[in-house]
Amino acid sequence: MRGAIKRFSKRQDFGAIASAGIIFIVFSVIDPSGWLSLSTLANVSHFSAILGFLAMGEALVLISKEIDLSLGSIYGLVGVAFITLAESLGIVGAFFAAMVLALLLGGINAFIIMRGNLPSMIVTLSTLFAYRGIIYVWTGGTIKSFSEAARAHWLTRLFGGEFFGIENAVVWAVLLLFILNTILQRTRTGNHLLAVGGDAESALSHGVNVVRTKSKAYLLAAGLAGLSGIITLCDKPQTHVTLGTLMELEAIASAVIGGCILTGGRGSVIGALIGAFIITSVRYELIALGAPSAWFITFVGIVLIVAVLFNQALSRWLLRSSA
Amino acid sequence: MSDTRPLIEMKNIDLIFGTFQALKDVSVSFDSGELVGLVGDNGAGKTTLIRILCGMHAPTNGEVYFDGQKINRFNPRLAIDLGIETIQQAVGLCNNLSIARNFYLGREPVKRRFGLPFLDFEKMRKKSESVIREFGLRENVSADDEVEILSGGERQSIKIGHAVEFKNRVIIMDEPTNHLSVREREHVNRLAVQLKEQGLLVIYITHAINQVHGISDRIVILENGEKITDIKSRDCTAEELINIIRHGGRVGLAENRG
Repeated sequence: MRGAIKRFSKRQDFGAIASAGIIFIVFSVIDPSGWLSLSTLANVSHFSAILGFLAMGEALVLISKEIDLSLGSIYGLVGVAFITLAESLGIVGAFFAAMVLALLLGGINAFIIMRGNLPSMIVTLSTLFAYRGIIYVWTGGTIKSFSEAARAHWLTRLFGGEFFGIENAVVWAVLLLFILNTILQRTRTGNHLLAVGGDAESALSHGVNVVRTKSKAYLLAAGLAGLSGIITLCDKPQTHVTLGTLMELEAIASAVIGGCILTGGRGSVIGALIGAFIITSVRYELIALGAPSAWFITFVGIVLIVAVLFNQALSRWLLRSSA
Repeated sequence: MSDTRPLIEMKNIDLIFGTFQALKDVSVSFDSGELVGLVGDNGAGKTTLIRILCGMHAPTNGEVYFDGQKINRFNPRLAIDLGIETIQQAVGLCNNLSIARNFYLGREPVKRRFGLPFLDFEKMRKKSESVIREFGLRENVSADDEVEILSGGERQSIKIGHAVEFKNRVIIMDEPTNHLSVREREHVNRLAVQLKEQGLLVIYITHAINQVHGISDRIVILENGEKITDIKSRDCTAEELINIIRHGGRVGLAENRG
């Protein structure tokens, strides 16, 4: 029992799990009628899932000791592509085309970084602007939306609807969490991701293909960001040019709250999803409690710092008490 | 002819990085069951030479033969498939992974479930656990512990155990005893001799002749990217060899050759 507790407390995502629990309890105590209502929990879990897709992808990229700043733009561009292409390709065709686009955008990131041997921070900062720019060019700044028929289409419902009162976005997030966590913890690809992030040269000396492994992380992250964009628009089928702006930074914040470190090799997709929950619920509850919404972005910053400090203090305290 | 053929033959190797020539016309061969000391000062080209053997660099000019086969492509995977394993001080183990995960890095065993390949943790633990015991790690170290907690000697032991476990033919040890305690150093050197006695080719790289003179069959000295000496260990004393390095190869070899 002691061993199990010790193992659990040594998890990368332990701090995030503990924080999320504390936040949930505190909000339940100070705002029982607002926080514990079905509509609040549905909204918070829905927005957590949307951000969570990006956070999980970002976690994989961070674990492989890279960073992707373009996920917010990929999210927006793929969403726009899904809505825009639906007119000519139909919903199903647009879905597949948009997902291919997502992988293409991630592939471009990976290709430039790996081939050019360039820092991912610079390359994905460039593609953050470039991909966002394409949204402006493509939409001309106009708002696009689905017809009534498209809103009722089965695929739109599959991603945007509800399942016994639970938003489908949440179901998809949990499903992908399970898949990604299994990949990371129990497959060769996962072992290579961790190894490449921890010590690329040692991984290479064992014949691990560093370029291919890191590229997989970029592709997965872009695919998840694209899927998140599609899921968002299936729920509210209307695009605007700022769709997903700053989301890459919230995703990085979520992943870091969830136990990822920027020096690579450590992190958890479970933690990243919980990190997304923490950011989303703090935002939601602060606004519900009457804090001005304009302050939200400041709160994200504060939450990030507090969470990281809490993580650190917690692991130090556990280390001391278990010794 | 085939039994006298060297396991590894490097012919007239040049390696140029930009404007810097790291290796100049180096020709050297290695046999199975031999422990060769590859010696030279820092920057002499020892590590660069073996980086070709482990596929990290391709030579600018020259040819490499492994077991009589000419090597045309240089990549780490091929070196691993040929059974060449390099043991380096700073490289080879990922600190953030458990011993079991490190042990099988790059060739993880998988077990199929629902047709999908999952890591076979049971096998990974069992094998690495036996190596931990066999190669003299602390009693309380388990296969699930992260490599981060191991001492320098324990790390080297894991790498050597890894090399033995995967039935390699060539073990390259790059400064394997740096930063080790005296006891750990002797332990590692004993393992090197054991590997050789099992018929493996062991290339032992060091800048300290005394380290390797006593245990090696042959000493190859590099200086400024050139091979300046290649001599049986029993035909010379460590002092004579140190003298050669001290004078950068300008002292003739004739007086050293028996």
